[in-house]
Amino acid sequence: MQSLRIMWRITLLNFRAQLEYRTEFLLMVAIGAIWQVSVIVFATVLLARFTGMGGWDSSEVLLIPATRMLAHALFVLFLGRVHGAGRQIQEGRIDTYLLRPMPVHRQLQLAFFPTNAIGDLTVAVGLMIGALSRSELDWTPGRIGYLIAAVIGGLFLEAALFTALASASLRFPAADYWSYWLEELLGTFGSYPLNVLPRAVGGFLTYGLPLAFVAYFPVAVLTGHGHDTGAPYWLAAASPLLGVLAYLGARWLWRWSLRHYSGING
Amino acid sequence: MAVLHAWRAARVTPLGELHTPPRMTAVLLRLTVQIVLVASLWHGLYADTGTTAGLDRDQAVTYAVLAVLASRMRELDQYAGRDTVLQHMHFGTIVYWYLRPLPPQRYHALRALGEKLYGFAWALAGYTVCLTAGVVEPPKSAATAGVFVLSLLLGQLVLYYVLLVLDQMCFWTVRNNAAMLILIFAQNLLSGVYAPLWFFPGWFVTLSAFLPFQATLNVPLSLYIGRIPLSDAGLQLAVQAAWVVALHLFTRFLWRRAALRVMSQGG
Amino acid sequence: MDASIEVHGLSRTFHTTVRRPGFTGAVRSLVNPERVAKHAVTDITFDVAPGELLALLGPNGAGKSTTIKMLTGILTPTSGHARVAGVVPYEERERNARNIGAVFGQRTQLWWDLPVRESFAILRDIYEVPKAEHAARLKEFDDLLDLSSFWDTRVRHLSLGQRVRSDLAAALLHDPPVVFLDEPTIGMDVVVKEQVREFLRHQVTERGRTVLLTTHDMTEVERLAERVVLVNHGRLVLDGTLDEIRRKFGSTWQVRATLADAHTEVAPLPGIALLQRTGPQVVFGPDGPDAPTVHQALKAVIEHHEVTDIALDEADLEDVMRAAYVHVEEV
Repeated sequence: MQSLRIMWRITLLNFRAQLEYRTEFLLMVAIGAIWQVSVIVFATVLLARFTGMGGWDSSEVLLIPATRMLAHALFVLFLGRVHGAGRQIQEGRIDTYLLRPMPVHRQLQLAFFPTNAIGDLTVAVGLMIGALSRSELDWTPGRIGYLIAAVIGGLFLEAALFTALASASLRFPAADYWSYWLEELLGTFGSYPLNVLPRAVGGFLTYGLPLAFVAYFPVAVLTGHGHDTGAPYWLAAASPLLGVLAYLGARWLWRWSLRHYSGING
Repeated sequence: MAVLHAWRAARVTPLGELHTPPRMTAVLLRLTVQIVLVASLWHGLYADTGTTAGLDRDQAVTYAVLAVLASRMRELDQYAGRDTVLQHMHFGTIVYWYLRPLPPQRYHALRALGEKLYGFAWALAGYTVCLTAGVVEPPKSAATAGVFVLSLLLGQLVLYYVLLVLDQMCFWTVRNNAAMLILIFAQNLLSGVYAPLWFFPGWFVTLSAFLPFQATLNVPLSLYIGRIPLSDAGLQLAVQAAWVVALHLFTRFLWRRAALRVMSQGG
Repeated sequence: MDASIEVHGLSRTFHTTVRRPGFTGAVRSLVNPERVAKHAVTDITFDVAPGELLALLGPNGAGKSTTIKMLTGILTPTSGHARVAGVVPYEERERNARNIGAVFGQRTQLWWDLPVRESFAILRDIYEVPKAEHAARLKEFDDLLDLSSFWDTRVRHLSLGQRVRSDLAAALLHDPPVVFLDEPTIGMDVVVKEQVREFLRHQVTERGRTVLLTTHDMTEVERLAERVVLVNHGRLVLDGTLDEIRRKFGSTWQVRATLADAHTEVAPLPGIALLQRTGPQVVFGPDGPDAPTVHQALKAVIEHHEVTDIALDEADLEDVMRAAYVHVEEV
């Protein structure tokens, strides 16, 4: 309870710190929005040009970017500071965190308020509403529940990937380089039915870099395409659970890496 | 002697990379994966479509893959070398740029030149592999190839100046992350890195025609795949050249203001 | 011979906007920003002769760095003028750059990603130093600073001491007659500090370079500088030798003596005050502006009293400077 109160107070302080620079604050909100709008433009442009992508109806395809973006926006809001943790590590801030009586991971998350998440979230919610209103699916409580679980699972899966990279950054600060690429890959390839890709490539995005689990698999299960994903149906259906498990694993990896942290630059 | 310092300054980036083999492995891996993914995506998208937005499948794939290769010319981990204006402003080391008998603007240009040449070596190697593997199409004619090279060169100049403006902004505010992100993002979106500009709605294409970004990548790539016919090439090259001149004058002005600012604030 | 560095009536004022507290204050600041002038340096005048090492001293924020920045050509003065090796630095920055070398504390000018030697090579070409000359000077610096043990290491992996030694060498490779060092030994260990001091002494006495040094390390001042300029609140407080400073602020000696007879009366001596007495233990200190030196006082105490034990404490330079800074604050 005490720690929750501290987290809340630090978050409020961070938020006020962001407000100090008003132009910067508004621009950051705009950034989040513009970034996501561009993904929407991109996705809708392609949806309009290439109908029946991978045998999916375009209203169904729209659910993929909607789910991914909502998961992403929530990730940025709640756990997003692991992305870019490499910067904090390179600046030697971990050493300071280690001196304080609060878990290092939590301090990392409380480093600043993610203003751009406001923009991200606004657009993501808008897109989700748009996708749901266009959807011809029968939204039973079960489906809605699964969609919510998918969004949360996607949040955790993305967090797991960036936490794993942050763990690597503790040892090799240069690993930070990969986090920008990871974000780009998640943004560009996370929004399509991956069955348009050759099997090998789809396999890579499933078992190599598991971005298929963020939105594609759960939406495929929801829209009845769950059997044509190239992966076992049960695996696709278990995506939300896998996200949570992956995050737990990544946190374990983080703790392990932190125990073996030997500082930067000697 | 001037040649010597030019050579030294230009080779800072390549040398730094050569001293860090893991970074080169990373570039290779990233480039390979990105090309495979982009090529398969566009192949997949075109599976049930013939020609759309004036582009057939091979043109679209070629455009997208060349865009990935061209971005390689600058997507280095620039911060690793701690030689960006942003970092120099942050660490207070910008003073050394003004303590040497080499004008900062020339040093900046030389560093960028070296970086581009190094990136170009990667891009060229990648292009050769892709061409051999049949991922991209060869240019339609020798004339197309010539115009493309010229246009690419101009495009890289425009790109240099656009990124220079970003760097110069750091002289006034180190806290301009947001503005910088917007510009970088605009550059990527409006130059065709995310998707060929031709796929976007008409108003979007018109809008981008008034901005310098499409001159960096979209024009040379469209010339290459023949989406812009050779007969229009002259006009497009002239537009690119005009951007080069305009941005050159603008950045020269900003360099002067930056020097004045350093001289009045003390770096 | 003309002075190597001439500073005359140099002043620098910065203008900043003050933020008023609270929300209404913030809005008022937005509409009607309140500008405040901060006088970083006010009317400073001094000369440095060729081949002289001058220490520019003063507490933090006294205006030392601002002065150095004006002399290196990075900053334009608000008024007054300066000349470095015959060049007005802020008017002909590039010409001045060839005459000077500079190290700003912990800020490195070396290329982070490259081995140290590559940085030297880049600077050699930027300053257009002939190859043979460069090699000879590098050899000289290596002998003094032991650079070759780490010059193939990339800068990011250097220790602080190694980096500052490299930075010193980098700043002097083009053989500048005038060198500016802004707290060069900050944060370094004793061994490296001594190495750097030895190097600087060598550069001044053997190479005839003019050095302007700022530091907070009084041992360094004592070892290196004959002359010091003391600034505070942007103004020049004192320009003189270490002895003069000592005389002015440092007459804080104490003579502790144990008297043979614990009950004897202690008669006053001219210029010597009895500060403390507990039984046979007495402590004397200087009294008034005409107080004797510590050695004269020692002699006087022994002559006038029968003592079984005597010891003296002389204030070291650090105490002297503390006294000087505090004195300036009070004035």
